Amino acid sequence: MSLLKDLTKGIYRENPVFRLVLGMCPFLAVTTSVENALGMGAAATFVLICSNFLVSLFRNIIPSKVRIPCYIVIIATFVTLVDMVMNAYLPDLHRSLGIFIPLIVVNCIILGRAEGFANRNPVLNSVADAIGMGIGFTMAMVVLASFRELLGNGTLLNINVLGAAYQNQPLLIAILAPGAFILLSFILGFFNILEKRKGGRQ
Amino acid sequence: MAPTRRFELAMSPHVGASQTTRKIMFDVVIALLPALAAATWFFGPRALLIVFLSAATAVTAEYLCLKFMKRPVSFALDGSAIVTGMLLAYNLPSGVPLWLPVIGTAFAIVVGKQAFGGLGHNIVNPALLGRAFLMASFPILMTAGWAAPEAWSSSTDNSWGTSGIVQEEMSTIPMADAISGATPLNVLKQTFDLDASAENARNEGNIAEAESLEERADGIRTVLSSNSTYMNLLIGRSGGCLGETSVILLLVGAIYLVMRGVLELRLPISYLGTVAVLAWVFGGSGWFDGDPLFHVLAGGVILGGIFMVSDMVTTPVTPKGRIIFGIGAGLLTMVIRRWGGYPEGCSYSILLMNLVTPLIDKLTLPKVFGEVKKNG
Repeated sequence: MSLLKDLTKGIYRENPVFRLVLGMCPFLAVTTSVENALGMGAAATFVLICSNFLVSLFRNIIPSKVRIPCYIVIIATFVTLVDMVMNAYLPDLHRSLGIFIPLIVVNCIILGRAEGFANRNPVLNSVADAIGMGIGFTMAMVVLASFRELLGNGTLLNINVLGAAYQNQPLLIAILAPGAFILLSFILGFFNILEKRKGGRQ
Repeated sequence: MAPTRRFELAMSPHVGASQTTRKIMFDVVIALLPALAAATWFFGPRALLIVFLSAATAVTAEYLCLKFMKRPVSFALDGSAIVTGMLLAYNLPSGVPLWLPVIGTAFAIVVGKQAFGGLGHNIVNPALLGRAFLMASFPILMTAGWAAPEAWSSSTDNSWGTSGIVQEEMSTIPMADAISGATPLNVLKQTFDLDASAENARNEGNIAEAESLEERADGIRTVLSSNSTYMNLLIGRSGGCLGETSVILLLVGAIYLVMRGVLELRLPISYLGTVAVLAWVFGGSGWFDGDPLFHVLAGGVILGGIFMVSDMVTTPVTPKGRIIFGIGAGLLTMVIRRWGGYPEGCSYSILLMNLVTPLIDKLTLPKVFGEVKKNG
């Protein structure tokens, strides 16, 4: 069934981060802790579902020449919504995500799904696609954030895992910018090996 | 390209060479040994242990990587891994915990070298990458483990050692207790800080305080530019990383490498020359009153200039390109030393220049014989 396929493809087969390599900016920047990753993933997923829904709903009304500005207006509306709600109810998370909440506006996963999927598919499929992509994005962020938080701070979701001795001398680079790039390259390499093992079948 | 066999397939004309990777690398290992002796003498047998652990980790990591990638494991013994391990250890303070060189070398080999495809394909010097990795990961361990060389060697005459005199001076500097055994470049950095606070005090109208601060900075500078300091830096009786302190024994290694035809002098000379000139221009409190001799002898530029700037894989191959590389690295070293946050900029300057090496090579490619310049 194609609705189910649209829902599941974002999780592995067309995972926005590991397979399509989109959305690198928030992916590298806010994955310093699992908490941040979950917050960012939830915010982006919400915006993604809402924008895919509206874009798909209006896909026959939006003139194709000005479609990108229209998408941006739709996306920005929901990002502003998320920004304000988060600021009101989750001020700590809002502070640690900082500029990356408003920057969801230019997240290329959201724009990419609007342009690449929602503007030529029915509403239900678009929402399914957005849910799948959102889950895929959140999962990818949590995977990288787990490695970074564990190695760079010795904790997972702020719970001490590796002990106080490790926390005295953690592998600090993991939560710094270079650590994000290095770990990302290892994860992408792992997925490439996985894909190769599958023997190129799509 | 097995390490023991000559590269055989090529277009004519052929020039035979007896140099192989293995021979070159073991020449480098031999050239590194005198400095290891100095490190063992001044910093104790722990230095030897760190170097050994580092080299052993390098070979093991290389072996495991090659095994994993199903490539001939004999590459692990071509000597290049040992050189990487030794050079990384030479870049560590002697007081580091023993797991530190193991982690650093494993990273250097796995990420810095094998992830890019092994020897000849790495874009930056793996040993320096390992050092940068350790600096970013464990900044406290990497900068607090300076042991004063007197701690081990039999001499107890502290007033003779650089750190003896300078530490006496240092004890009068506010916040000097943040540094345990200061390296000469740490001390130099303190003089710049003193200059800055003196200027601040002067701007606030506090002339007396400004003058006393300036006097203190000048006092330290006099000590740093004294003959006994030069002497200690030459023989290696100063605080610093394991393998960088003994200038004379590093130079012995360099002479050996030049005699064996492994070290090409354009790189080290342009590098050290640039450091010296810029030290004279910018290295002092004002213009043109710096101490080039101190800047060349202190810190890691001799070690870097001989063994890292001249790394065959990560530096330009064209003669002109090598000079550009040396000048660029020297410039960056002095910029970091004088204005940067770190006391020493040798390793970062070489890493940064490593990244532009392909561009330098491309720009300085000699004209093909018989080629006519286009767009005339």
